[in-house]
Amino acid sequence: MLAILAWRNVWRHKGRSAVVIGAMVVGIWSLTFGAAFMNSFLLSYIETSIRHDVSNGQIHHPEFTKDFDIKFTIAEPERIVRFLEENESVAHVARRSIVNGMIASSRQATGVKIVGVEPAEESRVTLLDSLISEGSYFEGVTGHPVLLGRRLSEKLKVGLKSKIVLTFQDVEGNITAGSFRVAGILDASSTTIDEGSAFVLREDLNRLLGIRDAVHEIAYTTFPGTEDDVLASQVQAAFPNEMVRSWHDLSPLLVFMEQWMGAILQMLIVIIMLALAFGIVNTMLMAVLERVREVGVMIALGTRRGRVFLMIVIETLFLSTAGGPVGLLAGYLTISWLGKRGIDLSDYSEGLKSIGYESVLHPQLFPSDYVTIVIGVLITAILASLYPAWKAIRMQPVDAIRGV
Amino acid sequence: MAALIKATNITKVYHKTSVPVHAINNLSVEIAEGEFTAIVGPSGCGKTTLLNILGGLDQPTSGTVMIDGVDISRMKDSDLIDFRLHNIGFVFQAYNLIPVLTALENIEFIMLLQKRSRKERVARAKELLEQMNIADKADHRPGELSGGQQQRVAVARALASNPRFILADEPTANLDSVSTENLLDLMARINREQKATFIFSTHDQRVMDKARRLIRLVDGAIVSDDVRS
Repeated sequence: MLAILAWRNVWRHKGRSAVVIGAMVVGIWSLTFGAAFMNSFLLSYIETSIRHDVSNGQIHHPEFTKDFDIKFTIAEPERIVRFLEENESVAHVARRSIVNGMIASSRQATGVKIVGVEPAEESRVTLLDSLISEGSYFEGVTGHPVLLGRRLSEKLKVGLKSKIVLTFQDVEGNITAGSFRVAGILDASSTTIDEGSAFVLREDLNRLLGIRDAVHEIAYTTFPGTEDDVLASQVQAAFPNEMVRSWHDLSPLLVFMEQWMGAILQMLIVIIMLALAFGIVNTMLMAVLERVREVGVMIALGTRRGRVFLMIVIETLFLSTAGGPVGLLAGYLTISWLGKRGIDLSDYSEGLKSIGYESVLHPQLFPSDYVTIVIGVLITAILASLYPAWKAIRMQPVDAIRGV
Repeated sequence: MAALIKATNITKVYHKTSVPVHAINNLSVEIAEGEFTAIVGPSGCGKTTLLNILGGLDQPTSGTVMIDGVDISRMKDSDLIDFRLHNIGFVFQAYNLIPVLTALENIEFIMLLQKRSRKERVARAKELLEQMNIADKADHRPGELSGGQQQRVAVARALASNPRFILADEPTANLDSVSTENLLDLMARINREQKATFIFSTHDQRVMDKARRLIRLVDGAIVSDDVRS
């Protein structure tokens, strides 16, 4: 009956309760949508990084990752590639050769990471071909093609079909150099690609390095829903002599961003719920103070103060959570609709791209975020009920009955 | 007959202003089971204060109040709440029913606090509504009832817990003459048939006429105590 009493008390002043419930609906809707919108930023950044940069996982010789010494190649790359291709979680695999060296044009020279790729594999794994803004993907030039990021090309003051020279040490430790022609210019949000890498054909690079068909890096992408850490552990177990890392290990920045976004969501919950809590406390305090006599009579008749406290807490919970399902549903529908349609921020695309975001964002909220929001609402309701409930149980029945 | 209520040398002093107010002055009184007693006197003579102290709603500044041999004047608040629940019924001048509950639920409420089963609660509440001649109002909320009907529900609520006695503070003050007559007849009948003990505070002559004992207060002290045959 305490619950019935509390529920009916909520609807005693329909207008007043409706205002609070409405505020909760709007608050929870903005919370869910705000969180989903922020998530879309995070996911866009992570996806861009995974897609064009780190991939879902990478495999190296353990020594290679220390100082990129080219003699540390992967022992059985073809067996690893086959193993990955047979795994149903793995979408695509790409092999790479990597060496640090110098890139020089007729006017400038700078340090660069030289990446030898298999064009077909790379276009599937990092969508490197999709980043071409000028020229073509390893085609259209005579001689050995190279792809450069826009900033690097500007730094070197080269354009399409310009000749550049790559200089590095081969596997014997001799300085060797190769002449390449710029086949394409890449527009990438990743600074590693934009100003720190030069992409050449793997066969060209391997010939200059003198490592035949050796591989320094195998990158792979996975299908959505794959637990990348679990998969990395499985691959690691199958090839214990290599180093297998998921994007979590490869890019601590992304992990930090993920955790940071979680903290932002919690902060958002605290800020919005704090604002709503004041409204709830105000309404409940008003409700309690105008029922002084009634509460006093209840205590006089033999209602323990704990029960009165509980009644006010239940009443506040009802008032605070009545709008919750509507707010969550509204948030869910908005997120679902905009998640499919996307929010077009192309007016700001230049700025967004430069920091690694797509210009169309897709709001998304995970089930765990909904749970966090529900828990946040419940905690808010309970905290908001404490002061009015405390006021109620401090009443002395004789004063309450007489005093009004 | 042994006293159901025994108040000895009770004094109540309020210090709410700079001048202490002596609401009850060294008052002693005994009330036996089955009495139908009215405490009367002019406004401000201490009727309500005395009733509050006898009902454990207020505590005396000095003196003791024994109910069935239990001293309630120094009882802990939580124990007092339980004691009131099981031993004392209250009828208030302004009825003080819970407005969001129906007549039946208002009566049930006190039995719920006593942790009685739903079946027992509903049966007893219906029985009491029958006794009060308002069985057809069981599903009505207080706002839908007349003053007289609300006060009957309040009496039914007071009886529902099977208390040792019922305290009624000016129960007829807000009622018209017909409702007052009906309510008094009802309470007198319950007193006669069920030996329920009623203690009223009133300055309503009709209540005084029905009472079998009249305790008259002036300035917080008993000036006369008449028992009628």
